[in-house]
Amino acid sequence: MLKHLFTLIWNRKRANALLIVEIFLAFVVLFVVGSLLVYRWQNYRAPLGFAYEQVWEVGLDPGIQPKAERYATQQQIIQRIKSLPGVRAVTRTGSNTPFSNSHNSSNIERPDQRIFRPPSNVYRVDDAAGDVLQVPLEEGRWFDRRDDGAPVVVISHDMKELLFPDETAVGKFVVADGKKRIVGVTATYRADGDFADPKQAIFLRNGLQDTTFEHLETLLVRVQPGAGGALEKQISADIRAIGPSWSSNITPLAEARDKQMKTVLTPLVALVITCVFLIVNVALGLFGVLWQTINQRRSEIGLRRAIGASAGGISGQILGEILVVATFGLALGLLVAAQFPLLGVLGVRVGVYGTAMALAAGLVYLLTVICALYPSRLAAGIQPAVALREE
Amino acid sequence: MQTSAAPVLQLTDIEKIYQTKTIETVALHRINLTIGRGEFVSIMGPSGCGKSTLLSLMGLLDEPTHGTVAVDGRPVQSYSDKELAGLRNLKIGFVFQSYHLINDLAVLDNVELPLLYRPGMGGKERRQRALAALDKVGLSARTGHFPSQLSGGQRQRVAIARALAGAPEIILADEPTGNLDSVMGEEIMDLLLGLNREHGTTIVMVTHDEQQALKTQRLIRLFDGSQVG
Repeated sequence: MLKHLFTLIWNRKRANALLIVEIFLAFVVLFVVGSLLVYRWQNYRAPLGFAYEQVWEVGLDPGIQPKAERYATQQQIIQRIKSLPGVRAVTRTGSNTPFSNSHNSSNIERPDQRIFRPPSNVYRVDDAAGDVLQVPLEEGRWFDRRDDGAPVVVISHDMKELLFPDETAVGKFVVADGKKRIVGVTATYRADGDFADPKQAIFLRNGLQDTTFEHLETLLVRVQPGAGGALEKQISADIRAIGPSWSSNITPLAEARDKQMKTVLTPLVALVITCVFLIVNVALGLFGVLWQTINQRRSEIGLRRAIGASAGGISGQILGEILVVATFGLALGLLVAAQFPLLGVLGVRVGVYGTAMALAAGLVYLLTVICALYPSRLAAGIQPAVALREE
Repeated sequence: MQTSAAPVLQLTDIEKIYQTKTIETVALHRINLTIGRGEFVSIMGPSGCGKSTLLSLMGLLDEPTHGTVAVDGRPVQSYSDKELAGLRNLKIGFVFQSYHLINDLAVLDNVELPLLYRPGMGGKERRQRALAALDKVGLSARTGHFPSQLSGGQRQRVAIARALAGAPEIILADEPTGNLDSVMGEEIMDLLLGLNREHGTTIVMVTHDEQQALKTQRLIRLFDGSQVG
């Protein structure tokens, strides 16, 4: 029967061409949107590599205070915040804090392999950053006093995989603003947010010589659960008390995350809504064409019933036919979709394309089955004696 | 080939009434009819007298309002749709005035069609049977042609080959020569007579042509839904 259906559809290819094109286009749209959604979804499901809850970002603006005095004032502010009840730890870092959409990247190399590497995210941190962000470690340790005076770095899992795929990274060296020794390897670290691709990251330790305010003007503060507006007001007041010209902007990382998610999700939702409208249109088109086809084929259906097809058999045949038509459309669509990973069109991981292809194909089949259900029932209900006399 | 007395089709007290919201039409009234195995019966009557309705009931394509239809002595009113479909496929072949060939299928594929609904039959056997049926009707050379490339007589021969492919015991022919000129009509009639004579196929044929009806073994006349002869 399957061969018969293929023969029938092939011989009716001109009549079915429009349906095939419609299904092909629906598949391509679903595949592209699906690739983006699967990519974002897989990233969303992956761990961030740090804990953002109960962490506040404190942006500092020294105002008119002379540059030479800023570092000392910042240190006073840090000490004061650390001493507040409800504060667990404070770290000083650059502006590329989690969810900030701010980046600092550089090409990090192995000293023995001077080859081009993709840029890595660079984070300037101090010893408290590991505690504040609760970064899990896969190898070695976070920075501490033992590293005073020694050029050391902590790298992420992804950088380790890039530079030292089959060996232990701790104790090895990388070239990052000079030759530095690796003391630890973190899990994948994705400060760019929930939907961002994992990217290799390197943490540079603020050494004792880093006595300037510039480039490290942001504080990350881990607070105790339940800390809220009162603590926030206290921190702002203390900053103003220590540095009268200073101002601050306090944002919980959870809030920054929500804001970033909205920014990423809004165009995605718009895309999905547009896609849904398109698919509904395709579905209505399919439904209409199938309905009309059934009416045009009443005598054929009557004949099939006369020569041995049951009502269920007719219903199954109509479903089978539309699935064969869908398969022709999908075959064309898959040919196009297969070019995407080869050409890297969407810049997502190769596995994402495979998942999106399977999802889009499944959805197209589901859509065609749903659209064919009612017309196939109509076909099954055709009275053969009546249909055969109509011509 | 001898005609056996055993009835292959038996219609008892058949009534067929078409009911709409406002009107009730009696298409058949108290028809009692027995078709013996190997018989060639023709049905005649004016247009609208119920000939095609009677043929539909014999072909299990429709159900009577009252009365019973029995195939090989077994009443079929309790049969499910699937069982009736299976019975039609195994026992009955249809030939229609307007051929009812599928224009998008080649001749061979059209002839194979009833065999597609026969469980367990492989593609090779289907093809062999279809080729043999086409050989019987003299169309072996046209297997790859499409219906639109054939004459009316050839199309009807394809339809007969399709009816024969499943080796049915009964062929129900609804005005098989109605769309053909007299020469082609004679050809088709000879073919049906040959099938009945040489293979013992039971044939019930609706016709308007008295000359053709007289060539069959029995003639049934209908008038206003009732049997009059």
